[in-house]
Amino acid sequence: MRRRPGIGGLQTHAAARDQFRLLGENVAKIRTDLMKEQLATFRSQLEDFARKHKNDIRKNPAFRSQFHEMCAKVGVDPLASNKGFWAELLGIGDFYYELGVQIVDICLATRAHNGGLINLQELCHLLRQRRKSDRGVVSEDDCLRAISKLKVLGSGFEVISVGKKKLVRSVPTELNKDHNEILELAQAQGFVTVDEVERRLSWSSGRAVDALDTLLDEGLAMIDDGHRDGKRRYWFPCVSPISSLVGVDS
Amino acid sequence: MQKLVDFKLPHFFNYPPYFTLQPVRDTREKQIQLWKELILDYCKTQKIFVIGLEEEFPLFTNHVIERSLTHEARAAFLSALVSEGRAAWMDKGHRKCLILWHRIQDWADILIQFAKDNGLEDGVVTIEEIRSGTESQGTGNLLMLMSYLFVKL
Repeated sequence: MRRRPGIGGLQTHAAARDQFRLLGENVAKIRTDLMKEQLATFRSQLEDFARKHKNDIRKNPAFRSQFHEMCAKVGVDPLASNKGFWAELLGIGDFYYELGVQIVDICLATRAHNGGLINLQELCHLLRQRRKSDRGVVSEDDCLRAISKLKVLGSGFEVISVGKKKLVRSVPTELNKDHNEILELAQAQGFVTVDEVERRLSWSSGRAVDALDTLLDEGLAMIDDGHRDGKRRYWFPCVSPISSLVGVDS
Repeated sequence: MQKLVDFKLPHFFNYPPYFTLQPVRDTREKQIQLWKELILDYCKTQKIFVIGLEEEFPLFTNHVIERSLTHEARAAFLSALVSEGRAAWMDKGHRKCLILWHRIQDWADILIQFAKDNGLEDGVVTIEEIRSGTESQGTGNLLMLMSYLFVKL
């Protein structure tokens, strides 16, 4: 025969629940305390680390990139704020803001030539030229970080991957898949022809011409009718940077 | 024929599309701007006064990349210089172009300065004297310029 619930049973039950709750709170408290302690230790360790390797972080781009990677993994963003110990300790924020300003500068200066799309390598190269005083300490990784910080200024700066290369876009042009494929194709020689686009991508002639015309209108492409075979070539300054071409000095 | 010696050519000179007149306005303006600067700079350092549109001219052909400017492109670049007062057509058919790497006003100043420096004020000299006189070394081939100026004025 089943016992019916009595007042005593209910009371015991409530008491047990209270006990459980108390115990649970205790455990949770111990856990958070432990976590806090761990975090504090971690923070001080990280600070110690940063302090100890301050010079390496500043001077060695590879080390800097690894440091950033490590910070990202544990959810710390040294660039998140210009205040606080990171900025005081490393001056990292200022470094990237400075890079950002210089990147904007270079993008604007080369826009007339490349239509606002620039190869990341080329950008780094120009950046290093500009920062002659400490040449060589800016890596592509640093460029990418600085560009990612420029996003807070609104749209405009973006890194797009075309094939193996990374291009930095400083104009609000929307490049669709067709354009990207053409740019990727152009990376081999710096130019494409309508024939080549049709053949390699199996497109209809209208599709190729249309995409190329858009790229032309955006100032990202230039035509070249001067080759012996008489076929029009479309050159893309963003994938074959002029500054890397060797001048004929002799 | 002049050679491209001792002249630092800009990078764009080795980029093939700059030898084709660009159809898009913004790109073409940039292209014309670069060519204008190059032509003026080249003529100034090489002391060249006249460019013939149909003649060989070192800047109009780049043998390394096998490109040369079309007649249309040459005319476009020189016309741009003319419209800025940095060049003048010497004939109606626009076949010969006088490059004014000093503006006309500047040339006048140079002549006056030349006269002052040599005590020739209020005197008469022939063009030949100015041109071939030892005192005018460095002022370049003035004959072409002056004969043009006298016809014009």
